[in-house]
Amino acid sequence: MLSPKRTKFRKRMRGVIRGKATRCNKISFGDYALVSLEPKWITNRQIEAARVALTRHIKRGGKVWIRIFPDMPYTKKPAETRMGKGKGSPEYWVAVVKPGTIMFELGGIDKKLAIEALKLAHSKLPIRTKIVMRRELE
Amino acid sequence: MQKKTLKGQIRSQFSKGINRRLRGSGRIPSVIYGHQDPVHISVDEHEFNTKFKIISENIIIKLSVDKKDYQVLVKDFQEDILSGKITHIDFYEIEEGKMLKTKIPVHTIGTPVGVKEGGIFEVLMHEIEMECLPKDIPEGVEIDVSDLVIGKALHIHEIPEIPNVKLLVASDQVICHVTRKREEKVEVPEEEVAEGEEAAAEGAEATEDKQPKKEETKD
Repeated sequence: MLSPKRTKFRKRMRGVIRGKATRCNKISFGDYALVSLEPKWITNRQIEAARVALTRHIKRGGKVWIRIFPDMPYTKKPAETRMGKGKGSPEYWVAVVKPGTIMFELGGIDKKLAIEALKLAHSKLPIRTKIVMRRELE
Repeated sequence: MQKKTLKGQIRSQFSKGINRRLRGSGRIPSVIYGHQDPVHISVDEHEFNTKFKIISENIIIKLSVDKKDYQVLVKDFQEDILSGKITHIDFYEIEEGKMLKTKIPVHTIGTPVGVKEGGIFEVLMHEIEMECLPKDIPEGVEIDVSDLVIGKALHIHEIPEIPNVKLLVASDQVICHVTRKREEKVEVPEEEVAEGEEAAAEGAEATEDKQPKKEETKD
């Protein structure tokens, strides 16, 4: 699963996801892509599940690019703990995704297979998504 | 060289709200720039989308704005990725007899031999930047990739020479290649295996993923 090798600080403030994606919003590597339509935190487990779904479906060829990286720690307090006594401990990692972010890209395969694979990857994610492709392939 | 026509209207107000209303009424705010002063115009969204399914910098457009014709190229455009609508277009006015820099699309022909053997064909460069006179702009570069085997790449210096065109890309740049497919391995981290063994020895039932807790802190 994806996670940072080292970080400057162990915990981070949650913040608010505002606006649309102004970067990572264009197809750069492949021909087909999965775009988020909602702001959400995507966990490293969800990214891994989507990646596995993609690679298993396109077993005959093609290449997958993951354009998001879970660099934000998600903290959680232990069960049956009273409130207070400081922030919880990091449990897993999340990627902060804005609407319009290209999350996965696919290349080297035909259109039908790519759309099927991206639909499977979509089913592993907690957000609404859209499949986009290069203009010359539409 | 392809040539198309388009009609535009001069726009005199430039605020954000006015542009938003303009887009709502089915027009795209645009600008013409080049060797003369910039002209702010708007073009019909439906007309543009039907005529330009593929937007490329190598198509010369005869743009008619208030009884004046401009010879332009689409230099850049902005689109809303959520709705798929084009929100702004930059038209670059060309000057006959003067060299210009533009990008031409790369078209691959055939299926590489390497793909039939199980490799992955990847196009790394979809457009090539070049310099030429407006009359010499080619429609695209056609590359025959049927001889590509696994591990081989096609470079800029291998493409056929285009007359009256100077390529502005390094000659050793890769356009496309065929790579070997990497087999996916199911990896079990050594630490987890070790933890599992310890837990089994101690009689513990579950092991948890402690990866986030292992990070170094320097604060």
